[in-house]
Amino acid sequence: MADAAIQGHEHDERGFFTRWFMSTNHKDIGILYLFTGALMGFISVAFTVYMRLELMEPGVQYMCLEGARFTAAAVADCTPNGHLWNVLITGHGILMMFLVVIPALFGGFGNYFMPLQIGAPDMAFPRMNNLSYWMYVAACALAVASLLVPGGNDQTGSGIGWVLYAPLSTTEQGMSTDFAIFAVHMSGASSILGAINMITTFLNMRTPGMTLHKVPLFSWSIFVTAWLILLSLPVLAGAITMLLTDRNFGTTFFDAAGGGDPILYQHLLWFFGHPEVYIVIVPGFGIISHVIATFSRKPIFGYLPMVYAMVAIGALGFVVWAHHMYTVGMSLTQQSYFMLATMVIAVPTGVKIFSWIATMWGGSIEFKTPMLWAFGFLFLFTFGGVTGIVLSQAGIDRAYHDTYYVVAHFHYVMSLGAVFAIFAGVYFYLPKMAGRMYPEWAGKLHFWAMFIGANITFFPQHFLGRQGMPRRYIDYPEAFAYWNYVSSWGAFLSFASFLFFIGVMVYTLGWGRRVTEANPWNEYADTLEWTLPSPPPEHTFEILPKQEEWDKAAH
Amino acid sequence: MPIQHIDLAERASDYPEALSASDRREAPLWRVLLYPHRSMNATGFVWVIGLLAAGLSVPLFGVFGTAVLWGVLPYLVLTVAAVWFFIMRNYRDGQIIEELSLWEDEIKLVRLDPKGHRQDWQANPYWVQIAEHDEPVKHYLTLKGGEREVELGAFLSAGERLDLKRDLEDALRSLAA
Repeated sequence: MADAAIQGHEHDERGFFTRWFMSTNHKDIGILYLFTGALMGFISVAFTVYMRLELMEPGVQYMCLEGARFTAAAVADCTPNGHLWNVLITGHGILMMFLVVIPALFGGFGNYFMPLQIGAPDMAFPRMNNLSYWMYVAACALAVASLLVPGGNDQTGSGIGWVLYAPLSTTEQGMSTDFAIFAVHMSGASSILGAINMITTFLNMRTPGMTLHKVPLFSWSIFVTAWLILLSLPVLAGAITMLLTDRNFGTTFFDAAGGGDPILYQHLLWFFGHPEVYIVIVPGFGIISHVIATFSRKPIFGYLPMVYAMVAIGALGFVVWAHHMYTVGMSLTQQSYFMLATMVIAVPTGVKIFSWIATMWGGSIEFKTPMLWAFGFLFLFTFGGVTGIVLSQAGIDRAYHDTYYVVAHFHYVMSLGAVFAIFAGVYFYLPKMAGRMYPEWAGKLHFWAMFIGANITFFPQHFLGRQGMPRRYIDYPEAFAYWNYVSSWGAFLSFASFLFFIGVMVYTLGWGRRVTEANPWNEYADTLEWTLPSPPPEHTFEILPKQEEWDKAAH
Repeated sequence: MPIQHIDLAERASDYPEALSASDRREAPLWRVLLYPHRSMNATGFVWVIGLLAAGLSVPLFGVFGTAVLWGVLPYLVLTVAAVWFFIMRNYRDGQIIEELSLWEDEIKLVRLDPKGHRQDWQANPYWVQIAEHDEPVKHYLTLKGGEREVELGAFLSAGERLDLKRDLEDALRSLAA
């Protein structure tokens, strides 16, 4: 039997290797996800800086066939290397979509805080959690490898776009594309296992009395995201497996010459792809809700509508995919349906935006760094949402399709939406995770530099799109030069702010002021993670927390 | 709740499934069942699998009758199977049962772990001691008496362990009276 075990257990006696390489602890795995995501993010952002450098002036000065360079070349010395450009946009897309934002928000914050918020001792399957993380690392390795192994045009890497459209992806030479497909497969498997773990934990391991309608919003957002992953990623897995067999085994699933249908690949890809963008943004909704409530010193306005708005956004995300492909030749009825369904998403999104504003209404707002990021998120995400409504109209989309207007739109919702949510989360939870406080001035400087930089980067791209500048090209006519020049300076400022952020993190983790109190903010940060010491001990809630610790209304 | 008090007034205390039923003929004076908390019931499981299967079938409608169906279907089936397996596995991990029964001359604890291994402990209730510790979990309870010291309800929440301790002490006290 259960012989009595009365030994102390609080000491963390694990060595470095055991703790970080064999970890089964949800908090350690969450931190691993955040750091790995940051590393991948750095690589991916570095690509964009190089691309903006190239786009700064008309003509090709840096990406030359004679060799990629860091100083501008004279026209005579430089033969444009379009393949390198294509490889960089493909790499940026794949890294950002699969290996940066989802791991940071879902894997990082989700792993760390969802079990804490629902009072679970750990994830339901701690060792599977470890497996998910290392599969993600393997996916990162494969994705980076795909840039370096032989690909199309007798160069390394593949320039096929992150969407891997057939027939471009099925005819690209070399093994680079296969590596990219394996990377997506691996990250998909990792995310699916992670999602199953999250769903089981959320459903089965909530502390007694925590009914579904009492679960904090961030945990709800992770739950909704896990469902989106489970419902969409298997479809992508099927689609890219068929790409793989088309490439290597002579099947013709997406090859019209053999009776296949390349448009069908686009349908499958976007059936995954549209939920994917919600997978990216929904955990951000959760973080922003907590940050806004805390720094407005008010409980979140409209908890239940907030929950069901997330559920509705998730559900609608599965029935609007073809608005990414209005120009493939669908019938008028199909286009009308996808157009209307897409516009309906504005309703639950509006519920969320207005509930956040109503939370702030009459609150005593404190502009600490996390709140600044949340404000930035709110403003920019709404802005990107509005251009989304513009693009949702099939007629207008004819003009904007594959122009910089689209680039500006999705960077406003992703780069400025999801990424701002990540930074809000990092600053909000840093004292909890690290037990150290960042310097307030540094956080604010980072925010303002990034906010201004990102806006200077992407706002002018609306103008470029309206003037008809197409995406995915290494060069452009001189008429587009002015706003491209401005946009590039914005990208450099954003990159500088990112480097500054890395410095802030290094300083904070090494020398930051120690925070020992459980809750460094205020009593409106009222979820369970704020009842734990900072940083939390290795094991938490082996005793399930009592209701009065998290449910003020009941007492 | 993870503590189920067996109601003696309804004579339900000697249900045939009782783990210690085979050992004693007469009904115990007091009996309690302890098990870990799981927040989702069987209906919830049906909803999860149902919603998942329904959701995953949406993309299939478009590819029926094409070869592409066979490229997508295996992954969807695999996903449903994996979710089914892992939720069931989680239920199984929580199948720890401790049954504590009290007769006039015997106190008996039977524990089944998730693999079905049965462990027994018995003592004379007159000599048994309930001890409370702060480690490894808050209000950790152990029973002393008989050949060894055993833990009780380590998987319960702290408040539940306190309730359990109070109830058990009451039962033992009424036995002495």
